[in-house]
Amino acid sequence: MAVIRDMIPPFELYQPAGVDDAVRLMDEHGSEGWVLAGGLDTFDWFKDRIKRPAAVIDLGGVEEIRGIAGGTDGGLDIGAMTSLTDVAEHADVQSRYPLLADAAGLVATPQIRNQGTLGGNIVQDTRCWYYRSGWPCYRAGGNICYAATRRSMNREHCIVGADRCVAVNPSDTAPALVALDAEMVVVSTSGERTYPAADFFIGPDIDIERMTVLEPGDLLTRIVLPAPWDGARWYFEKIRDRKSWDFSLVSVASMISVQGGVIQDARIVVNSIAPYPVRMGAVEAAIRGREPSDETGRMAGEIAVEDARALRHNDYKIALTRNLVRRSIRDAA
Amino acid sequence: MAERTIGTDISPPDLHAKITGRARYAEDFHAEGMAFAKLLLSPMPHARVRSVDTSRAEAMEGVLGILRASELPRPEQGTREGALSDEPLYEGAPILAVAAVDETTAAAAVEAIRVDLEPLPFVLDPLDSLRESGPNARLDGNVPGEDGPTSLKWPGSVFDEAGSDRLPMGEPTAEWAIGDVDAAFAEADVIVEETIVHQSVTHHPMEPRSCMAYWQNGKLFLHGSTQSTERTRGPVAAMAGVDVEDVVMIGEYCGGGFGSKIAGVPIMAVPAVLSRKIGRPVMLRITRYEENYIGRARAGFQGWARIGFRSDGRMTALDLYLVQDSGAYGASDLFTAATVATASYQPENMRFRGVPVYTNTPPRSAQRAPGGAQIVAMLEPVVDKAARELDIDRLEIRRVNAPGHDGWLGPNQGAFTSAYVREALDLGGELFEWDARSQLSGRREGTKVTGVGLGLSPFTAGSSGRDGLLVIRPDGKLYVHQGIGNLGTHSIADTARAASDVLDLDWDDVVVVWGDTSKHLPYSTVQAGSQTAHAHTRANHAAGEAMVGLLQELAAGELGGSPQDYRVADGRVFRAGNRATGLSFAQAARRAIARGGKFSGGEIPEDLNDVTKGAVAGLAGEGLIAAAKDNYGQPGAVFTWVATFAQVELDIETGEVEIVDLASATDCGTVIHPRSLAAQTNGGVFQGIGMAKSQRWVFDPKWGIPFTKRFYTARPPGILDVPLRPRFAAVNEPDPHTPVGAKGIGEPPVGAGEAAYVCAVADAMGGMCLCRTPLTSDMILAELEGRPRPYGLLDTHV
Amino acid sequence: MEFLRRALNPWGEDVPIGVSWDLIWAAVIIGAVFVVVHALMVPKKVGTGEVDPDEAAGLPEKLQRHKPGARGFHWSMSATMFALLITAFFPVIGIQFPWVTIHWIAGVLLIVTVIYHIYHVFAKQDFWTMWIDRRDIEEGKQGLKAALGKADADRPRAGKYPVDQKMFHHVAMVATLGAVVTGVLMMFRIDNFLWAERTYMFSDATWGWIYVIHGICGIGLIFLVIAHVYFAIRPEKRWMTWSMINGWIDRDRYLQNHDPARWTVPEAGTQAAEAEGD
Repeated sequence: MAVIRDMIPPFELYQPAGVDDAVRLMDEHGSEGWVLAGGLDTFDWFKDRIKRPAAVIDLGGVEEIRGIAGGTDGGLDIGAMTSLTDVAEHADVQSRYPLLADAAGLVATPQIRNQGTLGGNIVQDTRCWYYRSGWPCYRAGGNICYAATRRSMNREHCIVGADRCVAVNPSDTAPALVALDAEMVVVSTSGERTYPAADFFIGPDIDIERMTVLEPGDLLTRIVLPAPWDGARWYFEKIRDRKSWDFSLVSVASMISVQGGVIQDARIVVNSIAPYPVRMGAVEAAIRGREPSDETGRMAGEIAVEDARALRHNDYKIALTRNLVRRSIRDAA
Repeated sequence: MAERTIGTDISPPDLHAKITGRARYAEDFHAEGMAFAKLLLSPMPHARVRSVDTSRAEAMEGVLGILRASELPRPEQGTREGALSDEPLYEGAPILAVAAVDETTAAAAVEAIRVDLEPLPFVLDPLDSLRESGPNARLDGNVPGEDGPTSLKWPGSVFDEAGSDRLPMGEPTAEWAIGDVDAAFAEADVIVEETIVHQSVTHHPMEPRSCMAYWQNGKLFLHGSTQSTERTRGPVAAMAGVDVEDVVMIGEYCGGGFGSKIAGVPIMAVPAVLSRKIGRPVMLRITRYEENYIGRARAGFQGWARIGFRSDGRMTALDLYLVQDSGAYGASDLFTAATVATASYQPENMRFRGVPVYTNTPPRSAQRAPGGAQIVAMLEPVVDKAARELDIDRLEIRRVNAPGHDGWLGPNQGAFTSAYVREALDLGGELFEWDARSQLSGRREGTKVTGVGLGLSPFTAGSSGRDGLLVIRPDGKLYVHQGIGNLGTHSIADTARAASDVLDLDWDDVVVVWGDTSKHLPYSTVQAGSQTAHAHTRANHAAGEAMVGLLQELAAGELGGSPQDYRVADGRVFRAGNRATGLSFAQAARRAIARGGKFSGGEIPEDLNDVTKGAVAGLAGEGLIAAAKDNYGQPGAVFTWVATFAQVELDIETGEVEIVDLASATDCGTVIHPRSLAAQTNGGVFQGIGMAKSQRWVFDPKWGIPFTKRFYTARPPGILDVPLRPRFAAVNEPDPHTPVGAKGIGEPPVGAGEAAYVCAVADAMGGMCLCRTPLTSDMILAELEGRPRPYGLLDTHV
Repeated sequence: MEFLRRALNPWGEDVPIGVSWDLIWAAVIIGAVFVVVHALMVPKKVGTGEVDPDEAAGLPEKLQRHKPGARGFHWSMSATMFALLITAFFPVIGIQFPWVTIHWIAGVLLIVTVIYHIYHVFAKQDFWTMWIDRRDIEEGKQGLKAALGKADADRPRAGKYPVDQKMFHHVAMVATLGAVVTGVLMMFRIDNFLWAERTYMFSDATWGWIYVIHGICGIGLIFLVIAHVYFAIRPEKRWMTWSMINGWIDRDRYLQNHDPARWTVPEAGTQAAEAEGD
């Protein structure tokens, strides 16, 4: 049968008005259902006729998970359907969680940020172009990684965390949320569960066909930010080929608490180097008790890439990760 | 007196429609009973269709017909590309088309078709094809020969000697020389040598090449996206197998072409022939995905240059070897490239050798400065390297070698009509403050290192011998009929100004007629090669002069006296010194209709092209009609030069480059439309920067399939990638051999921007030229960090 | 139910990519049905039969059936096999954990074990003890009749290995070797400590069949393991299971189940006895 792309096939559209209805519909349709938020990941898949769900459950009308409210204990509670523009421009986010505001503000383009949601940005699928081309790779249920051969074009792929699949997590907000110790609230017909952001993302070693813990029937409804660290320094940087409408080659998010001139606690998270945002635990441990200096940054950078292993075309990511981790400590403000 | 419009900013007549969304592009048209077509694309880079089973598709409700390659009146033959093919030469080549009542059905029908394909050997890298054991992209060969493609293989020793970092240079298929390069190298004070790769890139016009066709009374009406309205009729007629008179081409707006839609595109055959087959209008909406395949691409080069200089900076020898990635059907960029190199440097001795090699990648065509942009971006950093060795200022070395009015072009060393190249360099240098800025070279602030660079880019910018056609109708307005297309360059309006200025007419009284060949359009240039501004200011000027003559003669006939007694201005023809005695244009039009004959299209000048004669005949009796051929003469090649200057900051920790300032200056003759000229120049500069900085065309070498099929993966530059306010100036000296003095501008800025960027990056890296495009941050960082290069020096499609 | 999982390769060609995972459940169900049916139909016969004292004369109380090396092989194989099956199939049925490393290390251990076994079979053991000959076929026929309760005669005594054990061995051997060979080939798809990936050493259709064979063998092993474990715990066969743990069987078992003509056990205490019993 011939292949044709760029033409969305028909599907049944469901437009629930609340989370309960949404998860009920999701449960009803199981793996035949598809949750639609902003559509920026979805419509590429649909257009290419690679993902062909029978039922699309559009969350556009689920107002209860749109918007930003003060959370408990001085935190913030962000509905998954809140647009990236609203996240980036929200006064509280900007003043108290500038890391997240910055990350959300660097997503794609203004148009895409208006349409795209925070939840969608978090749960979006990888952009590995072998996988996105509809090739039957491991992630698509096949038996091969087309991106990891010596002839593959894998400039954008993994340097850590690969397990047969070498695709990377493309999200800009994910590393920021991991660095902020955010919690992901997931609802299904069997109730509500909460995951620390760091545990929300999973690698191909656990499940090669998913990027997050979400299974059919699970809906990410809210992102809960704990109260920010007092006087924390932060840093976010996204390296990309163009300044708009581009996914990161490597991005880094850091939160650093400094007291008495030394680092008390830190979160260093790097994305687009693995199938999930990589929290650099060893780096965090190593820099505690040290000054946030260039020297500390340099050491941190070296630790960050100790386990990194390059594919044919992405050795530069090792240098880039090392340098960005260094910066994320040295230049955190 | 009406204000002279040339040299002023105007609002072109298409502008409001465009910015308000009222402009209708090809896919916005609908016709009664219109069916939709979808294409079945080849999944393999080279294959032969063994059999096709369409039974399931044909049985589907709503499917109206299927079109195969064999049904086209002009099927694929040799290197002539057909709209459909049973031997697809690249992944994505259309094999067949399905028409159905709607696109959903058509797409489902395509999916239901079973195509049995025999995979054939394929090749993506020209050098692979030149190896003894390398595959040929085509069954008939890998390089063009005298009677079609032939097979060329280089002995293994050629590759062994070259190693991995130098271009292998076996037997070329094209070669020419001026003087004696070997002798010149022997005497040169400095010799520089580099292997340089320039990538192939797809065109990515905003508007894909959608088209809609229907037939009425044996005439084909085709709505399409084209750069050249009148000149598209012929190719469409050939594709449909009808006479040119039986084609009505409609294309009022064209959402970008960059050389990929010059005069009809092969895919237009599909709706044209399918519509005839099923007896219904057929719309073929080309998607972004499909556009990536059939939308044409620039030919890439794997090149080598050895350049000798005298101590004063004069280029005494240029030895150039180019291997061209010609795609599946060929390209001629490398010949232009060698010629353009002479227009930059006037080398005292030169040798050019080249091999265009077919590959199983999408078809190439002209892309904004084909050959020119590549060679400029390839050679300018090498010239910089020599300047450093010679300790000569980089602007100065370009001045030393730039042609003057007595300069020459190409292997035949023909003349230019004018060349204010040093003036452009100086103007750009002043605008950019080169002397001060070049001192910033290598400045380090934090992790950022400053680099400055400039690129000088020549390209063709004119032609002659086309026709102008003007009508003054009884409403008193001047109708300028334009056979050229509306490519978004404003030339549709700007070249009309030549006529209105000759007639001394207020611009508000001018109506531009374009975009529909049923509106009687004259013979024109193809809107390519940056010819239009030059060719059609001339043609419209000629028609304007003819119109003045007719008005004078008409007035003299009506009001007495001799024609020379009459002047034309402000919409009137009147007796000199007595404005009251005369005719308004409205009166003149009515009198012309009454008198007929030569005043109203009854007599047609013999030297006009047949197309124009037909247009005049069609308009006969509708007003005062003047049609004239441009007979002004052209004693040389018309060339425009653009010099672009760039300042960049390179982040040594990330390899990212930020362009902090851009300035460009041009010699393009008389400035017609300052705002549009700046937009054209800056747009071209950005496009060139994109080719060097972010744009890519990546293929998987194992499967021969490209990945950069969408804007977000192909990464053409965005507005945030360039400075907010690039600066621009024009020498504004008229070309003495054309009545309005204008030369074209569309193409030369591309190479200038690209070269300025790569030179500035090399400068920030201490003069180290990576000598390849794209020059992305990963490559730069790997170099800065001394890590393994992400790609081989000669790798293509990275 | 589809037998194969298929996909369109990058060139749009329909290729197999593996065996249908539905077959896992098929194997489990068939295994369960087999166990239940067998348990219901075949009566348990524990400790039946008299021993001919003449035959018993001169034989030790305990006869070595499996040398430590052979037992080591068996248990190493069973451990790796369980590791392989668990790591292969649990993730497919939804119990997710990082399985790949364990799987291929277990696979490597299995290969080592198998190589050891093959070496010993050819170098140290009598290769023919596992061979099925005419007497085995006769024994099998009678055994089957006896099992179905139709036999009027007792099942004839076996050689060292009863025919059903031999058949199990051969089927398991085919499945294991199939899985091992295809598994080794699959290691060429990833960089590992031995070699860099050679993903494209075969066409994708060939790779697909390799995965299909690996899957069939793996799923076949699910059934074989179920059957094997079932028989191991059946009362009348437990003495054999014990012999795989402690290495010996008692004289009565030997004489009841084995034909001394076909499996000659030298007298106790000799070096030969130990060597033979391997």
